[in-house]
Amino acid sequence: MKRSTLVSILTDVHLWVPVGVLILGIFLLMSLR
Amino acid sequence: MLAAQGRSTLSLHKLGVFCGLAAAVWLGTAEAPTKLVNAGFSPFLISMGMVMGAFVARWTVPTLLKGTGFLFTDLRNKPHLIVWALLAGMLWAVANTLTIFAVRNVGLAIAFPLWNTNSLVGLFWGWLLFKELRGSGFKGWAKVLGGAFAIVGGAAVLAYATASQSNAPGEAAVGIIAALGAGVLLGTMYIPYRKAYISGMNPLSFVTIFTFGELATVLTLSAIYMGGMGHVVSELHRARPMLFWPFLGGFCWVIGDLFQNFAAKYIGIGRGIPLSNTNQLWGLAWGALVFAEFSGLSNSGKVLIITGSLVMILGAVSISMADPGPSELVNWKQAMHRECDRYDLDKEVVAEVVAGDDPLAQHPPVRRWWEAVIMLAATSVFVWLAIGTRSQHLAISMPWMIVLVVGTILPLGVCGTLLWRRTRFS
Repeated sequence: MKRSTLVSILTDVHLWVPVGVLILGIFLLMSLR
Repeated sequence: MLAAQGRSTLSLHKLGVFCGLAAAVWLGTAEAPTKLVNAGFSPFLISMGMVMGAFVARWTVPTLLKGTGFLFTDLRNKPHLIVWALLAGMLWAVANTLTIFAVRNVGLAIAFPLWNTNSLVGLFWGWLLFKELRGSGFKGWAKVLGGAFAIVGGAAVLAYATASQSNAPGEAAVGIIAALGAGVLLGTMYIPYRKAYISGMNPLSFVTIFTFGELATVLTLSAIYMGGMGHVVSELHRARPMLFWPFLGGFCWVIGDLFQNFAAKYIGIGRGIPLSNTNQLWGLAWGALVFAEFSGLSNSGKVLIITGSLVMILGAVSISMADPGPSELVNWKQAMHRECDRYDLDKEVVAEVVAGDDPLAQHPPVRRWWEAVIMLAATSVFVWLAIGTRSQHLAISMPWMIVLVVGTILPLGVCGTLLWRRTRFS
């Protein structure tokens, strides 16, 4: 994968919204154990 | 948008609506095989069986439709979307595990409508990130938002009507938080879906990568909750006589998810997801008609079920009639151009794929002999599991089962034909 593509991915709000929700979901799941 | 020469001229909106409804049928039917499993197995194990079944099923019928050559070419052209497809699979796996906690703590009656709010979350993300519904006017908003609320409301009524069937234990607050969390995760999962399709990715390619993210996450979560991989393997071995049923559920789930992805592609997530969320109706039909789960239900309960179903159907009809107008389509195009500019994609090619054409199909990659081996191996797993399955002692209504199986296969044939004639599964 090109470096410019990688930068585009890492600066894309479409990435961080789902990643943030996933992290919150994992925290929630772990707290329910 | 005109269809390519020799293709059907069915509007993409109608096609997307058919796909959303077919998705509901298959996602609802996916619940049926799990009902055939006798008590005594962990819900984690059943969920894992479904995910493994979905993973294996991906290499059966879908491989027939588009070969691995097509898959690799599609992924090579948009490698960045692998990240999003994996992410979507991970979101689904975490959300599905949360739903297990929710059902355990508050019962299906409260949990289902809470996580069914995922369509409203998806609608919000579609509006915010992909410009869906922008420029659609009051009527368009009213039809879509009203329809989505009606589907969630109908789900709440249906769930309430069937509440007497579940014995929910305490810890209600935890269950409610888990169900709401699952709704947010599932609604957010549609961000990757929509992103993939306005970038011109094929749903078959997306679902392939999705199943890898899903399987890896489910195995990790199961290992954490069940005390290590050793325990997971031994539990799977113990569950061998019933494993065929969740695998069959996984097969139905893959077909349903493919239709859901085609719906997300052609009508967006704001419209497509509420439609496929009517799957609760089909799950209910299996429970009520085939497994006679509600035979002792009071008359008021029956009235509630009919009311809830009608509200859901009205919601689906409302969304089906909400075609995006020209000003909304301009906004869809802007969202597509954002992806093309950001990831250096060919705007013309992407526009063709988004419009239901398939430039790759004009020069289809060569089919390889090992595709047949993969398909044979995947099918053999199902046959092997079926041979070793112990019969489950459950009373079922055979005539209703035949009716519902025919009712499930029919939309597959109709919608599959429509997709082929209009888009060649693009």
